[in-house]
Amino acid sequence: MTMAAAELLKELSKDDRLSRIAVSDTGFIFDPQTGQSFTLNKTGLVTLSHLKKGSSIDETADQLARQYGVTEEVALNSVEAFLLQLGRYL
Amino acid sequence: MLHENPMRETNWRRWNVAITGMNASPESPGPGFAVARSIREHRHFQGRIIGLGYDVLDAGLYSKTVCNGGYLVPYPSAGRDALLERIYQVHALEGLDAIIPCLDAELQNFIGIQSELNNLGIKMLIPTREQFTLRAKDHLSEFCRSIGVDAPETKTITNPLFFDECEAQGWQYPLMVKGIFYDATVARNSHEAKAIFAKLVHSWGYPVLVQKIIPGDEYDLAAIGDGHCRMLGAVMMRKRGLTEKGKAWAGVTVVDEAIGKVAEKIIRGLAWRGPLEVEVMKGYDGKIYLIEINPRFPAWIYLSHAVGRNLPAALLQTLANEPELDLSPPKPGTFFIRHAQELIVELDEFESLYVNGGISTPIQETHHTGLNDNEKFRAAS
Repeated sequence: MTMAAAELLKELSKDDRLSRIAVSDTGFIFDPQTGQSFTLNKTGLVTLSHLKKGSSIDETADQLARQYGVTEEVALNSVEAFLLQLGRYL
Repeated sequence: MLHENPMRETNWRRWNVAITGMNASPESPGPGFAVARSIREHRHFQGRIIGLGYDVLDAGLYSKTVCNGGYLVPYPSAGRDALLERIYQVHALEGLDAIIPCLDAELQNFIGIQSELNNLGIKMLIPTREQFTLRAKDHLSEFCRSIGVDAPETKTITNPLFFDECEAQGWQYPLMVKGIFYDATVARNSHEAKAIFAKLVHSWGYPVLVQKIIPGDEYDLAAIGDGHCRMLGAVMMRKRGLTEKGKAWAGVTVVDEAIGKVAEKIIRGLAWRGPLEVEVMKGYDGKIYLIEINPRFPAWIYLSHAVGRNLPAALLQTLANEPELDLSPPKPGTFFIRHAQELIVELDEFESLYVNGGISTPIQETHHTGLNDNEKFRAAS
């Protein structure tokens, strides 16, 4: 796991920022603090749901690996890439 | 023939409320109509709303769904005595309980006649002259330093030659060039800056302000200061769509604690009394910069009604000393998108305002003065 992704998750979890993000089943996301809205694909939606519940990056990668039948390494890379992209929107 | 009214209505729900700023040009609408609409749509309000305008084309005066009537008042340049005389006339016809001034340029005059209006039982929640001056654009940097709030560097200028030499003094283009009361335009070079300067001086007089641009996202907050350092009912909005002049034509409510804290500092620092709009830039450096403090409700204030925090109605409740304001918890994620709409005005309505300076519209009638429709304007003119 890279330090950048871990730091970012820590930052986004501060003051319940991540848990307050509004997520709809369609993948529509609204950040109540910045007023930004954007959409996620299905994998992104599943990933964000785990992170919002407080799962760590490793735990989220583990869940994705099992759900989508990929290796843990692939899942971990995907979660980290997703987090870095999310950080640019929030 | 002053309306003495010894039995003043104490219930704000039945008040006769006069509201200024009823102009509604698409590029830069006055806040008055949005204030009036918010009050009209409050579930408990049963009173009368009287629009006060400066021009026969101030659209809000003709609205049949919001205003019960409308009157022309003298332009602010006519001074406080002319305004007071006109308010006396309107009061004699309508029995006003409260006035909500909605334009920056008229506030000095309303501050100047507050004690006379108070003697008549007409309430206003407006700042003192000192509060009004402290938050003015040309004093803003100083005020921000005194309360520990970041603000973009701002300079007051009277000579347009500044724009030829400014880069050597550390003022790189693009720069924001602002009028003393209204208008702000981005200048990309000295040629543009001088043209904007000339236009602003023509419209608003000297001085003109130059402000460094902060890269970031703009947020606005509307609230009421109770005059005792307390902020009542903030509503925050992020601009989502801008007009050419940088005015919001679309926005969405947000909840940002850091912006709320800046607004609280401002209200505490000024002991602000009245409505206000705080414009901030959330810089990409993470800091919050105060751009402007407007001493009135903003034109997007109807959004406050939409999220259950009807600030214009809360202002009336504050004036009525209601112990609890009727405000829901902050609600992010509600959008507004402004659109222009044609208001149909019949010739006799236009004539009434043009010739007699007043118009009456037949909607909800409550504790009326008894005079009928446009007859009373003829009597008053």
